Amino acid sequence: MPRTLAILAVVLTAGSQLAAQSAIDLLQQGVRAYQRLEYDAAVALLRESLSRRMAGVLADSQRARALSYLAATQLFQQQRDSAAAAFRELVRLDPRYRPDELIFPPQVTNLFDEVRRATKVLTVQVPPATELHPRLEWFTARLVTTSLQTVTATLARDDGTPVRTVYDGPVADSLLVKWDGLTTGGDLPEEGRYILRVTPRPETADGPRPLQVTLDITQVTPDTLSWPAPPTAPPLLPERTSATPALGSLGAAALAGGAVVALPALFGRNADATGARFAVAAAVSVAGIVGFFAHQPRPIEDNIRKNAPARADWQRRVEAVKAENAKRRGSARLVIRAGPVTVADRGAP
Amino acid sequence: MRPVSPVRTIAGIFTLALAAASAAGAQHRPIIALRADALMMWVHSDTGVTHTSLRGPAFGGEGRVSVNDLVFGLGLLEGQLKPVGGVGGAPQRDVVQGTVFVGGRPVPWLEMTAGPVVRAYVTDSTTERWVFWQARARVDASIVVGKLASYLEVWRAFSSDVNLPTGAGRIQGGEAGVVFQPPQRPVWLRLSYRMDDALLGGPGGNETMEAITLSGGIVIP
Repeated sequence: MPRTLAILAVVLTAGSQLAAQSAIDLLQQGVRAYQRLEYDAAVALLRESLSRRMAGVLADSQRARALSYLAATQLFQQQRDSAAAAFRELVRLDPRYRPDELIFPPQVTNLFDEVRRATKVLTVQVPPATELHPRLEWFTARLVTTSLQTVTATLARDDGTPVRTVYDGPVADSLLVKWDGLTTGGDLPEEGRYILRVTPRPETADGPRPLQVTLDITQVTPDTLSWPAPPTAPPLLPERTSATPALGSLGAAALAGGAVVALPALFGRNADATGARFAVAAAVSVAGIVGFFAHQPRPIEDNIRKNAPARADWQRRVEAVKAENAKRRGSARLVIRAGPVTVADRGAP
Repeated sequence: MRPVSPVRTIAGIFTLALAAASAAGAQHRPIIALRADALMMWVHSDTGVTHTSLRGPAFGGEGRVSVNDLVFGLGLLEGQLKPVGGVGGAPQRDVVQGTVFVGGRPVPWLEMTAGPVVRAYVTDSTTERWVFWQARARVDASIVVGKLASYLEVWRAFSSDVNLPTGAGRIQGGEAGVVFQPPQRPVWLRLSYRMDDALLGGPGGNETMEAITLSGGIVIP
């Protein structure tokens, strides 16, 4: 009786100070109370540290520690159900957590194992950001279960379009699921939002809920090379004749033909001039017309042959750039940013 | 009237051209060009009192030697002219013309030459002899490179003399035509028209010579 009163006094005394203390302080005080076998005080302090009312909420690792001590304390207080409930909460909080066997006696760890086996929990852990070369590197997601569980991990677009089944099989404790960054067809996924969904099978009412993670995928494509400039003249020889000489030919012939007709008027007396000169003028004009058509733009085969090596060299460089660009496009990296893990609706795609 | 032999004319031209080639400087290899002409010639003579027209064939030739851009050449022309229609009071004439020129090509398409010309109209009884110094300018324009070309040549005498009582006035003329050169061949053919007008001194009058010429030439590099 005096002992109970003393505890009450401690708790009541502490009560006024609890609000001012941080959750970590309460955790440490609860642990010390446990170590001093002051189980009532330990329960009160540990519960208070776990309370949501407290300012400065515990981190998950500290929360797991608090739950371990709380469950052990309640077990020693012969409150097995309460202890099992605390362990159940601990398992749901962190399925991979194990009470330290150097701190807690076997009866505590045995109860934990019993609760863990009975509590079916599935979690997914993904890195917040991953950058990978598809085919060569992997995006990883760790699946953790408290008991043997068959799961299916699928990747789909946010509109539900399936992209890839990443894993379909049993998970005993934890499993690292890998995705090579490609769709089922072996292609790079388009940029956008995707859903990684982990579904336990069979889905039961009392079993773990399906989980999903939002993945924002972007492609980082390396710069491609620009096309090599096509060869120009010079140094290439002209491969077609110019149209300018055609007009020049016509002009030269017109000038000469006109001169033939006009010479008598220019230098002598036109009246006596022979009309035969018009035949010469006609011949000159015909030559001009021939020259005009002879100079119409046309391929210069000899120059084309001489230019062929330079053009072939340019074509080779184009092909090399094409190949390099295809290689670079194929080596695009994926940047995957993961959102929080959320519980998905049962039966959802 | 002396008979005119075309063979003799051409042989004379070749001889002169070869002599000119041997005279060219040895430092630069000369290019020799020879040309033979067949002409249909018209001569209209107007003394102010009478007007006659004669027509007839003629033959001629020219040889030239080019060293770098300098050119030296000789030409000879002989023909027989008869009155147009074959009747009338005008006597038949022989025409003989000799030319010597020297010049150069300041640019590839322009040739400028100068030299004396001696032209004689010979009848059975008289010889009308013209002697004049003239300057010539010739422009070449290609129609099809290496195959067809046209040219225009003009000249004017800066000194003239004739053994007529009236004396000589200005003499000027021009020539234009087309040249065909077969590809990769050193020969060429030319069809041209020339017109030359010589004024007589004193009361006036003139002598006009026209010709349509078909020429063949060869270049000996």
